[in-house]
Amino acid sequence: MARMSYRDAIRETTAEELRRDDSVYLIGEDVGRWGNLFGASAGLLEEFGPERICDSPISEAAMTGCAIGSALYGMRPIAEIMYIDFITIAMDQMINHGVKYHQLSNGQVRVPVVFRTQGGVGMRNSSQHSQSLENWFVNVPGLIVVMPSTPADLCGLLRSAVRSDNPVLLIEHKSLYFTRGEVPEGDYTIPFGVADIKRAGEDVTIIATSWMVLQALAAARTLADEGISCEVIDPRTLWPLDKQALIDSVKRTKHCVVVTEAPAEGGWSGEAASVVHEHCFAELRKPVRRVCGMRTGIPYGSDLEKAVVPDASWIGDAVRDVLA
Amino acid sequence: MSDNEQLMELYTQLLVLRHFDEFCYDLKMKDLIMNGFHPYSGQEAVAVGVCSLLREDDVVFSTHRPQGHSIAKGSSTRAVFCEMLGRRGGVSQGIGGPMQWIDKPHNFFCGSIVGSGLPIAAGVALAFKRQARDSVAVCFFGDGASNTGAFHEGMNLAAIWKLPALYICENNQYGEAMPVQEFVPVSRISQRATSYGLNGVSVDGMDVEAVLNATADALEQLRAGQGPVFIEMVTYRFRGHYGGDPEHTYRSREEIAVWRNRDPLTLARTRLLARGYSEETLDDLEASVQAEIEGDMEWALEQPFPTVEQATDHVMIPLGQD
Ligand SMILES: Cc1ncc(C[n+]2csc(CCOP(=O)(O)OP(=O)(O)O)c2C)c(N)n1
Ligand SMILES: [Mg+2]
Repeated sequence: MARMSYRDAIRETTAEELRRDDSVYLIGEDVGRWGNLFGASAGLLEEFGPERICDSPISEAAMTGCAIGSALYGMRPIAEIMYIDFITIAMDQMINHGVKYHQLSNGQVRVPVVFRTQGGVGMRNSSQHSQSLENWFVNVPGLIVVMPSTPADLCGLLRSAVRSDNPVLLIEHKSLYFTRGEVPEGDYTIPFGVADIKRAGEDVTIIATSWMVLQALAAARTLADEGISCEVIDPRTLWPLDKQALIDSVKRTKHCVVVTEAPAEGGWSGEAASVVHEHCFAELRKPVRRVCGMRTGIPYGSDLEKAVVPDASWIGDAVRDVLA
Repeated sequence: MSDNEQLMELYTQLLVLRHFDEFCYDLKMKDLIMNGFHPYSGQEAVAVGVCSLLREDDVVFSTHRPQGHSIAKGSSTRAVFCEMLGRRGGVSQGIGGPMQWIDKPHNFFCGSIVGSGLPIAAGVALAFKRQARDSVAVCFFGDGASNTGAFHEGMNLAAIWKLPALYICENNQYGEAMPVQEFVPVSRISQRATSYGLNGVSVDGMDVEAVLNATADALEQLRAGQGPVFIEMVTYRFRGHYGGDPEHTYRSREEIAVWRNRDPLTLARTRLLARGYSEETLDDLEASVQAEIEGDMEWALEQPFPTVEQATDHVMIPLGQD
């Protein structure tokens, strides 16, 4: 075990995968000289050189298409989109091509590419640099969508993503980069589709993703003082979804709150809530409650961005409400 | 100049592509193939000239009008007929349809998002460069595609990294119903390549030998690791944008007649006659090509359709096997 930041877990895991497999390379804007906006690839250019740490021109479509094309012929790219907001420009390459080729080739072609990006609030970057867009991607058949919330999960899931022959979208969170945690040493991997119980509890199941896991844990600590025992589950991969873990938990606690930073409408929070309703209808004492970001562009004005996405107090109120 | 035998081979391939296309057109008119079929008649010299010089390990990316490129790259006419018809036995087992399929054994890909192939071809070329292989990635696209972001981003990337990508713009004078001079502000699309530091050339795309010669030069540069090449092939599609489109609303019969006078098949045939082949030999050749393709079509029409179960095959590699 080593204690490190989420940001360092990205760098260490990337470096280890680059050392392990010559076909792995990193491509993205300012991943080399700058070592990524947050330092998540600092020093890698020196160790691996410009062919494996590729500073891309500001061309999200070309960079993404390039990653896909090279993955068709033996390379294992990690393509970094600096902000998830810029992924709109890469969407055609990802969705219409990268994710379709396996099926169109009747299984003969594999596209082992990792799309790494980051979303969410935390830097007062406002509405074109702070969005939570994961919901769009969960709706794409063939794409794996991963949102690690801890350094350890980042490490295990990034490693699995690099080694998977399926295309994987791994979404980091800008408010998580400097959070710290224990990371297992050695060849640590986490399979896709396996949720993690971040805190065990008995009275209510809180299903949360990414940075919201930290908010849910904070809420659970406060609620514990009031005598309410919360179980916090992090699905870690939005798709494939570990339905069984959600179902098993809610069958025990009989209450459920789903928390996402993204707005609720048309989103994954509805998917999670539906799974619970479909499988735990008999056990549920109250309908599932959703706690989600407001349906608005993320505002700039002083700390307003934090006011439009859930925090521990929103979650606490929702839990008290379903238990009332 | 190619020798007689080579020209005869090119002519045979031109006949294959033309008759294949015309049979597809008939099938479209009978609603056995859907509107996603975009006829290639008139442009055959481009596919034949370029692909005849490619090796199996070279990779081709094509467009929503892919049948000529695919067959010229080696796909079987039976498999392409099946794909057009949405039947099992198709290059993508009847799942892809008339404008998107992958023929992995022949390293052929296509797709129906205009302009999207350029970045992906750059990526294939990047893999070849990293692996120190002398294979090349070829990307066909239309005049209309030269207005997409992917076109410019992809060509720029290939140029700055000197990737072995061959970009072939088939300027067939139209993007759907829009004439090229209305949406491209330069007289030659190859001018666009010069802003990426490439030496863009424009070639008579109706003349299979001209296409061949330009491609030979390009491949030499590409295999020597000297970076990407852009060629504009000036050509024309004889039929509508899609089979049965209202083409006379946007172009005149006179204009079509002028271009039909420059039919790539007639051009090649005239040269063969001048080199001593008899009318009879060439007629016999055409009849036998036509008969063979008709046989392939009949075979394809007998193949089963995919089942509902097969519709969800290979959406992703199952977890644990990936
Ligand atoms: C991104 C995108 N926009 C629009 C279309 C609809 N569309 C299909 S073919 C076509 C015209 C393409 O023109 P060009 O690139 O010249 O190719 P051509 O059809 O002439 O072979 C259009 C607009 C599309 N398939 N993809
Ligand atoms: Mg055109």
